[in-house]
Amino acid sequence: MPVKRTNHFSGGYFDLRLIGSVVLLGALLALMPHAFAQSGKPSEVPKTQDAAAPLSHDLSGVWMQYPEGNVPGVPGMNAVDERTRPPLTPWGKTKFDAAKPLVGPRAVPGVENNPELRCEPDGPPKLLNLPNPFEMIQIPGRVLMFFELGHIWRTIWADGRPLPKDPDPTYLGYSVGKWDGDTFVVDTIGFNDRLWDDSYGNPRSDATHLTERYRRLNHDTLELQIIIDDPKAYTKTWVSPPKRHKLEPGWEIAEWFCILDEDKVYDDAVRKPAGAAPAPNQ
Amino acid sequence: MRFSQYIAVLGSILTISIGAFAQTDRPSEKPSATVAPSTLSHDLSGVWMPYSLHMDGIDEKLRPPLTPWGQARFDASVPLVGPRAIAGKENNPALHCEPEAVPKSLILPNPFEIIQIPGRMFMFFEQYHLWRTIWADGRPLPKDPDPTFLGYSAGKWEGDTFVVETTGMNDKPWVDSYGNPRSEQMHLTERYRRLDHDTLEMQIIMDDPKAYTRPWVNPPQRFKLEPGWEIAEFFCIYDEEENYGDAVRKPAGVAASPK
Repeated sequence: MPVKRTNHFSGGYFDLRLIGSVVLLGALLALMPHAFAQSGKPSEVPKTQDAAAPLSHDLSGVWMQYPEGNVPGVPGMNAVDERTRPPLTPWGKTKFDAAKPLVGPRAVPGVENNPELRCEPDGPPKLLNLPNPFEMIQIPGRVLMFFELGHIWRTIWADGRPLPKDPDPTYLGYSVGKWDGDTFVVDTIGFNDRLWDDSYGNPRSDATHLTERYRRLNHDTLELQIIIDDPKAYTKTWVSPPKRHKLEPGWEIAEWFCILDEDKVYDDAVRKPAGAAPAPNQ
Repeated sequence: MRFSQYIAVLGSILTISIGAFAQTDRPSEKPSATVAPSTLSHDLSGVWMPYSLHMDGIDEKLRPPLTPWGQARFDASVPLVGPRAIAGKENNPALHCEPEAVPKSLILPNPFEIIQIPGRMFMFFEQYHLWRTIWADGRPLPKDPDPTFLGYSAGKWEGDTFVVETTGMNDKPWVDSYGNPRSEQMHLTERYRRLDHDTLEMQIIMDDPKAYTRPWVNPPQRFKLEPGWEIAEFFCIYDEEENYGDAVRKPAGVAASPK
């Protein structure tokens, strides 16, 4: 067995050698590269926006989420913040109770059923919340997003088209965006109900209308607010506080696929013997 | 064909039937004549659909002799399609939803989209929702990259041909649907030419001395611009592939080679 090292924020054990090739384990594994990447910049504070200067309408670049409370090495995953979650509907409660997350206070080792453990693709909003970088590319009429975790890409149509009336449900949904002043507002519908909204088992139904609000506060700082309107799962709209992301000009999105065989191996060799880790932000 | 919206994998079988439907109203379409080279476009952006649905962008008839390593790999592979298919014994990596990657993604009978921005080209493959970057900013290929499914790609214009070089691939996917192997020594070359507004030509050249005794040079394959198309969501979902395999593929037996 290779060297094991205690992870300072989760208390879990991780096999460092496996990280490069073993995919998945979104929450747990994903936190580690983040912690390393941030360690050289412990006290960075976002610059304040010059009131006179207009905010940029170009969101292109590789963006990495700020840690919780700007504490280095402590990843947040609170762009979808469970502390602000509205009450669940009966349908939502049934789904929530059936979800056995890998992390958080409800984690039970050995019975986890996160969809990503079967390598189902992560989709919004969870994809936006993971402590891994994403890249945005703007071209006329369209914004492309590339997520390192799972090698997922999505299109946000920005050519003025409306949302489709009755789209077939998909993992990523159908997204359109437009500028509202200095905020790029993305609306997405047409989701399936196979994924969770977060790493803690909060459900996503096919009635979800997701809104993402992007503002580039200054050259290096992107703010993202996630608003979930899912009347099938939640009794009110779930409004999470904005989360900040830092521009990483030298970074390239690496190849990181979910490989089922490798995840099984990791699962049996590391995760189950180690037990489940607590949620990073609780 | 409602299945095809969300049931993944089974590349060859399922996707050929989709393609067949899409093509039925144009059975005798011929590529238009090549225009003078100096006027060929250097913009490859658009959604492209292969003319031929026979996955012949990599032509097994032109395959050089295998090395002993290549032969061992080839013998161990049991494809879903073709003369070596054995029902119930298939071990195509795509059956575990492993990414197909290049070059195989380039020859599947499904559309891909190309987007060009300064210094960079993106390719989006409908099958399994794959994307790749081809750096076109003059950078060299990395010296000793970690092996990945997609490798590391750099491209540049040579006259009217956009030449993409890729190295740094792992040896997990096959290069085609028939079990021909790919080693980590693969140096893949793709040559793209836009013959006219609606026609893209692509040639695949594989130099993989660990698997093949000579470079494997394929004939150019043509693609048609499909201006109204959007790349749909088509993920490989392992559970669904298992269900599909049990419910449809295995009872039906193995499909014949599309050739």
